[in-house]
Amino acid sequence: MSLVLQLLFTGIGIGAVYALVALGFVLIFRATNVVNFAQGEFSMVAAFLMVVCAVDLELPYWLSFLIALGGMALLGMLFNLTVYYPLRHRSFLPVIISTIGASIFLANTTLAIYGPQPQVLPGWFDTPGFQVGPVYLDSQYLLIIAVTIVLVAFQYWFFEHTLLGKKLQATSQDKEMASLLGIPVARMIMITFIYSALIGGIAGILVAPILFVSIQMGSTIALKAFAATIIGGFGDVAGAIIGGISLGIIETFGAAYISVPYKDGFAFFVLILFLIFRPQGIFGERVAEKA
Amino acid sequence: MTITRRGFSVALASGVAMPAVLRNALAQSNTLKIGMVLPVTGSAADSGKYALTGAKIALDRVNKAGGVLSRQVELVTEDDQTTNPGAVLAFSKLAAQPDIVAFIGSIRSTQNHAMAPDILKTAKPVCFGGTDPQLTKLGNPWLFRFRPNDSYSGRVIGAYGAETLAKKNWAIIHSTDAFGTSGGKALTEALGKFGAKVTIDQGYPNQSQDFTAVVLAIKQSGADVIGSYFTFENDLGIFARQLRQLGVTVPWVGSPSITTATAIKLAGPALYGTFGVADYAEESSPEAKEFAALYRKAASTEPDNFGSWTYDALNVLCAAINKAGSTDPNKIRDAILATKGYKGAEGEYNFDQYGDGLHGYNIVRNEKGKIVFDKHIEFND
Repeated sequence: MSLVLQLLFTGIGIGAVYALVALGFVLIFRATNVVNFAQGEFSMVAAFLMVVCAVDLELPYWLSFLIALGGMALLGMLFNLTVYYPLRHRSFLPVIISTIGASIFLANTTLAIYGPQPQVLPGWFDTPGFQVGPVYLDSQYLLIIAVTIVLVAFQYWFFEHTLLGKKLQATSQDKEMASLLGIPVARMIMITFIYSALIGGIAGILVAPILFVSIQMGSTIALKAFAATIIGGFGDVAGAIIGGISLGIIETFGAAYISVPYKDGFAFFVLILFLIFRPQGIFGERVAEKA
Repeated sequence: MTITRRGFSVALASGVAMPAVLRNALAQSNTLKIGMVLPVTGSAADSGKYALTGAKIALDRVNKAGGVLSRQVELVTEDDQTTNPGAVLAFSKLAAQPDIVAFIGSIRSTQNHAMAPDILKTAKPVCFGGTDPQLTKLGNPWLFRFRPNDSYSGRVIGAYGAETLAKKNWAIIHSTDAFGTSGGKALTEALGKFGAKVTIDQGYPNQSQDFTAVVLAIKQSGADVIGSYFTFENDLGIFARQLRQLGVTVPWVGSPSITTATAIKLAGPALYGTFGVADYAEESSPEAKEFAALYRKAASTEPDNFGSWTYDALNVLCAAINKAGSTDPNKIRDAILATKGYKGAEGEYNFDQYGDGLHGYNIVRNEKGKIVFDKHIEFND
């Protein structure tokens, strides 16, 4: 029983990370109808910004966090202006290629500036974790789970109960109609990019003390988060969260009870099953219904 | 004589190009080129930097001492991107340059396997650092190993854990790549000879983000010692931390990656008290100490095996070319194989018929983040 609880806790923790990154995917997809393949690199850049501020410059942790988030907002803005905006009237394909290019650019720029050594980022808390009965609770994983819950609640409130959120929703549903109603579409898309860069950044900063800070940390997480997005239903916020967390749990239990070497395989096996039998994901609408 | 427009253009073009052509030709005759395949990007980019530092220190020494065959030596590098296709591409780019006389290959066994067919075709010596014992048994005469192979590391880990520490129930954890799989196999074989038993043999894929399942399986297996073959330090770091968090405190004897500067930095206190086999240990010999001093002068990190093997490889290679008296690949090959009793940073090089230069390992332990030399175990086969 203790084994199951321990695995469940880790599974939810790692799943929450996938969920946070998946959330970034979903937001941009809803606003622009393209997948942003640089979403994982947002996490990596934020983690490096954190290392520069908190470790190299020895600034207080909270201040470093705010600076890193400021940097991410700026990155989201620049990303929109250089990667998406010039191609906004083209089909989705050039934009996707453009985000792949941006992802390689971000990874190699960070490599060129910071060098290849993996870095250690201390966690938020001095206590690494607690023993509750037979289960060890890693404090960083607890924080990740808490932040995920808060962000999901915030996102629900923001999109359903604020005017800005409703404008963003309207933009994602039908850009032309939204602009006819006087909604500044370009500005809405800008806000979406900034917001998803922030979410990706928060995910990176939270997971860095566990996975270390390295150039490739973003791509490993993003691949799983992408699978989570498809499992949850592309474009659905609740789907991204459920998809991410179930992926984390499936992976951890699969590793414990079936096979460790095929751990990554389970995630993608589930992905393939979904693509074949339920391509719209858990929460997605049928394409026919949408039309 | 009439000057046509075409003749004039040709003369002008050759006039403009001549200095460059001459400079190129002169440079070619002046420097002796050695190609080096190393990771500049990808997950092992940090180790590539250390490898280059080690190689450059040796290069500097060789050039200051008059170079090779009265020529200065130049290093031509290509990025292998830490992938097998990347390594193959990098090697073929270097192999296409006819003035490169020999090569420094990869520290990753799997990449050397990938490059091996092209190395055979190129037919020039390649010094490498991968430790899969198979690499020098492929029937490829151009591969020369500058680190002890894993048939030795397996025996040393086994001997230390089963005899010195007197632990008989082993948990083996290894990467599922070529290096990890062959290492795990070598350790299992060695343990059989020491009368110890393997209670759990667990492979894991590289770049795993979580080792909870592995740690819990080790805990349940009742093993009283862990033997490990980790390929990447970030995996090792995550495993080490989770191992301690979930309360596993049994002794741990690891392959060389447990002793590297990156592993010590990433895992921190989680590695205190662990043992490792290390091809490079600063306190093991005067030559190792000398390398450490040179390395600290050149870089801000602590010296480890990533830098020491390329340092030794370049030193031995340059000495061999000098001894061969020519850049003929066959003569260089014979000279490398004839190298006996050369004292390098990693130990004493005595090349055998297969191209293996080293035949023993150091045992070191991690004392609060500092690597302390324990003993050297040398084999005669």
